[in-house]
Amino acid sequence: MKPAAFTYHAPASVDEALDVLAELGDDAKVLAGGQSLVPMLSMRLAVFAHLVDIGRVAGLSTLDVGGRHVTVGATTVDSRIERDAELSGAVPLLTRVTPYIGHLAIRNRGTLGGSIAHADPAGEYPAVAVALDAEIRLRSARAERRVGASDFFTGLWSTVMEPDEILVDVTFPRWDGRCGFAVREHARRHGDFAIAGAVAGVSLGEGDRVERAAVGMFGVSSTPVRVRQLDAEVIGRPARECDPEQIGALAASGIHDVVSDMSGSASYRRRVGAAMVSRAWAAALEEAISA
Amino acid sequence: MSPVQSVDAAARGARYVGQRVARSEDARMVTGHGTYVDDVVVPGVLHAAFVRSGVASGIITNLDVQAALDTPGVVAVLSGADLNKAVVEAWLDYEGPAAAATPRPFRVLAEGDVRFAGEAIALVVADSRYAAEDGAEAVVVDIETRPAVVSIADALEPGSPVVHPERADNIAGRIDPPEDPALDAIFAGAAHVITETFVQHRYACVPMETRGIVAGWDPYRNQLSVHVSTQGPHGVRTQLARIMGLGDHQVRVVMPDVGGGFGQKMFLLPEEIAVPLAARIVGRPVKWIEDRRENLIAGQHAREDTVTVSFAVDADGVILGARADFSENVGSFPAGGSSSIRFSSLVFPGPYRIPRYRATARAVYTNTNGRCSYRGPWMVETVAREQMMDRVAAELGIDALEIRRRNVIRGTDLPYTTAAGLVYDQVTVDATLDQAADIAGYDAFRAIQAARRAEGRLVGIGVSLFTEPSGIAQGTLSTEAATVRIGFNGLVEVVTSSASHGQSLETTIAQVVADELGVDIADISVTQGDTASTPYGPGTGGSRSAVLSSGAAREAARSMREKLVRIAAHRLEAAEEDLEVLDGRVSVAGTPSAGIGFAELARLAYTVPDALPAGEEPGLQTHARYRPSSPFTWSNACHICTCEVDPVTGKVTLDRYVVSEDCGVMINPNVVEGQIAGGVVQGIGGVLYEHMAYDRDGNPLATTFVDYLLPTTTEVPTIEYGHVETPAPTNAGGHKGLGEGGAIGSPPAIINAVNDALSGLGVRITVQPLTPEAVADAIAAATGAGQSQAQQSDEEG
Repeated sequence: MKPAAFTYHAPASVDEALDVLAELGDDAKVLAGGQSLVPMLSMRLAVFAHLVDIGRVAGLSTLDVGGRHVTVGATTVDSRIERDAELSGAVPLLTRVTPYIGHLAIRNRGTLGGSIAHADPAGEYPAVAVALDAEIRLRSARAERRVGASDFFTGLWSTVMEPDEILVDVTFPRWDGRCGFAVREHARRHGDFAIAGAVAGVSLGEGDRVERAAVGMFGVSSTPVRVRQLDAEVIGRPARECDPEQIGALAASGIHDVVSDMSGSASYRRRVGAAMVSRAWAAALEEAISA
Repeated sequence: MSPVQSVDAAARGARYVGQRVARSEDARMVTGHGTYVDDVVVPGVLHAAFVRSGVASGIITNLDVQAALDTPGVVAVLSGADLNKAVVEAWLDYEGPAAAATPRPFRVLAEGDVRFAGEAIALVVADSRYAAEDGAEAVVVDIETRPAVVSIADALEPGSPVVHPERADNIAGRIDPPEDPALDAIFAGAAHVITETFVQHRYACVPMETRGIVAGWDPYRNQLSVHVSTQGPHGVRTQLARIMGLGDHQVRVVMPDVGGGFGQKMFLLPEEIAVPLAARIVGRPVKWIEDRRENLIAGQHAREDTVTVSFAVDADGVILGARADFSENVGSFPAGGSSSIRFSSLVFPGPYRIPRYRATARAVYTNTNGRCSYRGPWMVETVAREQMMDRVAAELGIDALEIRRRNVIRGTDLPYTTAAGLVYDQVTVDATLDQAADIAGYDAFRAIQAARRAEGRLVGIGVSLFTEPSGIAQGTLSTEAATVRIGFNGLVEVVTSSASHGQSLETTIAQVVADELGVDIADISVTQGDTASTPYGPGTGGSRSAVLSSGAAREAARSMREKLVRIAAHRLEAAEEDLEVLDGRVSVAGTPSAGIGFAELARLAYTVPDALPAGEEPGLQTHARYRPSSPFTWSNACHICTCEVDPVTGKVTLDRYVVSEDCGVMINPNVVEGQIAGGVVQGIGGVLYEHMAYDRDGNPLATTFVDYLLPTTTEVPTIEYGHVETPAPTNAGGHKGLGEGGAIGSPPAIINAVNDALSGLGVRITVQPLTPEAVADAIAAATGAGQSQAQQSDEEG
């Protein structure tokens, strides 16, 4: 379990990193916290001639909590997200999904930007990004662009990112008013990759009617899923009239490429995914009602 | 504090034995300052990496090492053709040279063909592990794949391929005694005959420290020097001496701190033989530290058994007779002594009065990694029998605890000879059953269970009861030895033949010797693990240390005490019987001022021989080689656990876990409970998480910890202990071993708890592992839930 030889680059600025990537193209891979990439290199499942470590790039490990948005820099580590008191009030889902990511030692190294760029279908941060319609800022030596989370993930471990691009930061919207949020995840053990999980957010208006709903599923499909068909079902309806089991079944029925592997067949994942959605929805709703 | 039922704890009057003495190993181990084999620094060392087969079975049509030899840093590439012929005498079973016409298959490296995925084909030696892995990647191996034999059923299928072409079939061993008409008559006349088949899947041992070895050949001294992660340095020396055609004295084996073995490190495996052979060929020391992937695919596996049990039972649930049929997958190249069918079938009757019993069995070779003697290698007998007890209880409508009470061997039955011919002199299975039920609040749980069920929740309780053949003392495992010496400063050194791979011997041996010798435990040090300084002994395995190693230390210490008293009596002109030994001083009882300290006695013994009694050997050194009075010292335990099952995900959460055990006189309750906890956690892992699965072509599916799931602190409940302490009659200390019991008793307790939780649905799962999906599917099948969805996704392919 020793990686093949590679050239290590440690740029000090984003511009420097982008220049290296522009020059090396496909031969280079960006290294953030290394919690997924390094084991793959050590087992020689992935081989790159060059690693560009962005861990020393100034200005990437930011956490800006604004009045309407929260922007998280690419190299901000999970454990900081887990512990930041201001963030937990602004985007509760980010705080609440973090303990499900591996273990403390992993969260001390792992980064939000790395998790999103890696695009593991069982990843928690990608699901939050998709559910909340986060915006992902990408830069290359050529240009800068912003991509909505729902357009970002294209398949298993794949995204719209070009080899010369770096994920700079991710911006999440803040929800105001009477809101509730919840995470439910089924994994073999605490900290394992999710077999199926769901994040849910709901905000209520007059008469406890659902004003806004956001449900994301992870682990069930090749990409994180935003359950959009839910909106027609729940928006404007009194919250108590929305049957969580029905919502779960609706969410699961909308997925057409359910993953099937050693840790769960498609049939099992679909059933569990539905249960996770219904449980997360019910918990989020309870929180919103009592808010 | 754990409840203790003890017959004579007060009467023992021991100062250290029985106390929760803090481990002397802890200072270095819990601070990360232990010395493991990878920490050993040898000048000029080279590093090894293995090229392994990617397929389960096939012919090697091409092996080209040139590109590897051209890789920077690579010193040598050795193949089966180089190393297999270097083996002088393949004396690989500890019993000695194989007597059988077709001995247990063995080779250092694959040659001509490959017989499991992961089998080592070549060894690359380089100046770093990085370069060695670069070289291994550059070796070209072409294999013409052959159909693989993977499961027990595959191996027994008529016309199936033969795993070892030099053998006629895939049968590695068989037990087939004559038919028993008396047993047949019992079955014919019984009120109930119940038959069930239980399947246990394959586990890996997963020591925290993987295997590792550093070996160097000194051509000037003609000596091989080895540091190895093992369970016994003397076994390694004996085997390597035979393999390399050397005298025992030409091989020095040092066992540093070892991070667990669980049976995997009891016998040398091919890689650990290849490295010393390579070191002699390349003329420089060679180091190999197994990585986790190698340990999972080639570090030898365990379990994988199928057992069919039939019980003849009367109308009250009393067992009248039993039949058991065991099938076992031993893989391709099992380690020595790793087939368990003989022991499993022998121990099966366990803690119950089963008047008549017949067992049949077979072990089969397959194109999978070989089987080793994992903690309680025979334990499938308890796994099957304890599930069967619940099965019978359910059939007859009797509670699971009650059916055990009706059949358990009681104190009044002792000594009891089982239907398999084993004799229990001192077991307390009935007392541990009662104690565990009491701690667990068994009866109260039944009321809670009814209330939970009414809320739609699935909770259950499971019981498992067993006897454990500990202190195994037969064949090469017959004895252990110890030397006690007192130095000029009056401090005591105990040199022990065994060596701890996690058993805390540095602490427990010191406790025993401190009491026997009358010294402060701080004045004792324990030396172990180096063949150059310790007496021969087979090492840790068979739950032997409390019985054999402490027995040897106790005898050597007693001789030392007698010697000290003789010398002091002579010097003080006092009668020996008037003297007592306390705190490192021999003095006249009641007159502490009239006495001599150990340091002064040592000075006399070593430097003033004329001051010694006539005929007394100068110096202060005594030695004992110890054998208990019986080949087995029986311990026993009862496990009870409770669980809740998520009806949708099938996830099992363990709530309470209770163990009541009788390991005789406890030397150190912390160590006893640590041993139990470790075994229980391995059982939790085995039933609920761990699965060393192969696909149908014989490819291993769990090659990292992402797929081979070990339980962590978040999955393990607090384990509650109860102790029943009845001295063993087999050894002077009254100790019984319990190193394996935790791993024997826990799997069926958990399975029974899960099945109890599901019993309201009419579901019984008899195939392990109990993955969430397997449990959920069983629930869905019983309740009809999820059926339409299942069909829907099947269509998705």
